[in-house]
Amino acid sequence: MIIHVADLHKSFGDNEVLSGIDCDVEPQEVVCVIGPSGSGKSTFLRCLNMLEEITSGEVVIDGKSLTDRQTNINEVRTEIGMVFQQFNLFPHMSVLENISLAPLKVRSLSAEAVRDRASKLLDKVGLGDKADAYPAQLSGGQQQRVAIARALAMEPKMMLFDEPTSALDPELVGEVLAVMKQLAEEGMTMVVVTHEMGFASEVADRVLFMDGGVIVEEGTPEQIFKAPKSERTKSFLNKVL
Amino acid sequence: MPAVLWKEDMSRLAQFNWLGVIDYIPALLQGLYYTLLVSVIGLIIGFVLGAVFGLGRISRSKIVYGISTAYIELLRGTPVLVQAIWIYFALPLIIGFNIPSLTAGIIVIGLNSGAYIAEIVRGAVQSVEKGQMEAGRSLGLSQHLTMRYVIWPQAFKRMIPPLGNQFIISIKDTSLLSVILVPELIFQGRLVASNHFNAVEIYTTVAVFYLVITLTLSKVLNVMEKRLTH
Repeated sequence: MIIHVADLHKSFGDNEVLSGIDCDVEPQEVVCVIGPSGSGKSTFLRCLNMLEEITSGEVVIDGKSLTDRQTNINEVRTEIGMVFQQFNLFPHMSVLENISLAPLKVRSLSAEAVRDRASKLLDKVGLGDKADAYPAQLSGGQQQRVAIARALAMEPKMMLFDEPTSALDPELVGEVLAVMKQLAEEGMTMVVVTHEMGFASEVADRVLFMDGGVIVEEGTPEQIFKAPKSERTKSFLNKVL
Repeated sequence: MPAVLWKEDMSRLAQFNWLGVIDYIPALLQGLYYTLLVSVIGLIIGFVLGAVFGLGRISRSKIVYGISTAYIELLRGTPVLVQAIWIYFALPLIIGFNIPSLTAGIIVIGLNSGAYIAEIVRGAVQSVEKGQMEAGRSLGLSQHLTMRYVIWPQAFKRMIPPLGNQFIISIKDTSLLSVILVPELIFQGRLVASNHFNAVEIYTTVAVFYLVITLTLSKVLNVMEKRLTH
């Protein structure tokens, strides 16, 4: 497995947000995490690349334990692409510069190789003509696709998506999901926190339902959406479907 | 008749010998030179100190935070005049050698403006959205690299208006350095005025010199801010 999580706890002060998460993700697997807001799903995702410090338990990414002091977290993060709800593009840089920054500074690739890679990725997300645009000149959907290209530019082994379509106007959601779906079909390992049940049931290999800081139920999309076992899962799905 | 009064009042100003100022322009220009010298070097030092202690105020290290806070509070909370007197008259007693007045003046402006600039830097850096640091770190960039390429450029742009404000205040603060004998504009002006009894003419001319400096600075910063906008 490429992601191994064992008894993960996370507290903010006295408030325990994650109360013991166990979860393994295999290479090329697509896992969607669903659940009500405040259930801890984003926090769980953010623990996977240590954007949140881990209170206790274990997270092992591609054989490297994040809680091990010997582990260089910057190195591990180069293997984990992350896409945020608010895109978080660098507003002072052009699209090309956004994509090129990390490969240039962390991977130390030549400017030419990076430009080449960036333009291929932009073509892939359907924005080949936007290399010189600035984020403020793009729509939300375009910005999020640039953010995906930026994460892919590091050639990560896995991708984390933190509600990637929640900040988008409804008509722009489709273009972002299409890119994610294509990525899944190409065999990218993905963990996706989402409210898009359609996407989860179509693309996910496995769906996790989280509530109250624990994984309440998990299974194939069929199992979770058609025949949920837990009452909490049922009541949640009744509200959102 | 206010209009008539105003006219009469203004005409009284004509009795001053404005043309006579021309004779003392060379002396004032020399003062201008020192004012600019102290301002430029002092503010460069102030900017470096401001950047260091401003980031120190955001540091997770309690010691770094404490030292930065102490520096800022001490320098902001005491008059520039007293700081100048301390560095020029008292500090040499402690360190055992004299500090030339020009050097002392530069140190005072540097230290004093640094304290204010530190707060400007802190505010600007903290105003950059948290997601920017997270995005940089998630790509594998170190804290340092993210700061340098992502946070700092955005913060710097936001610093320009308050920095301009601080630069102007510090430039006018250099006038207080006349008490430690820095031969800047006010020092030269006082020298001329006390010998020739033309205080109004001379100090007004001095004010115009300050205005020229500060207006030029405002213009330069405006252009800079526009250039950095996308």
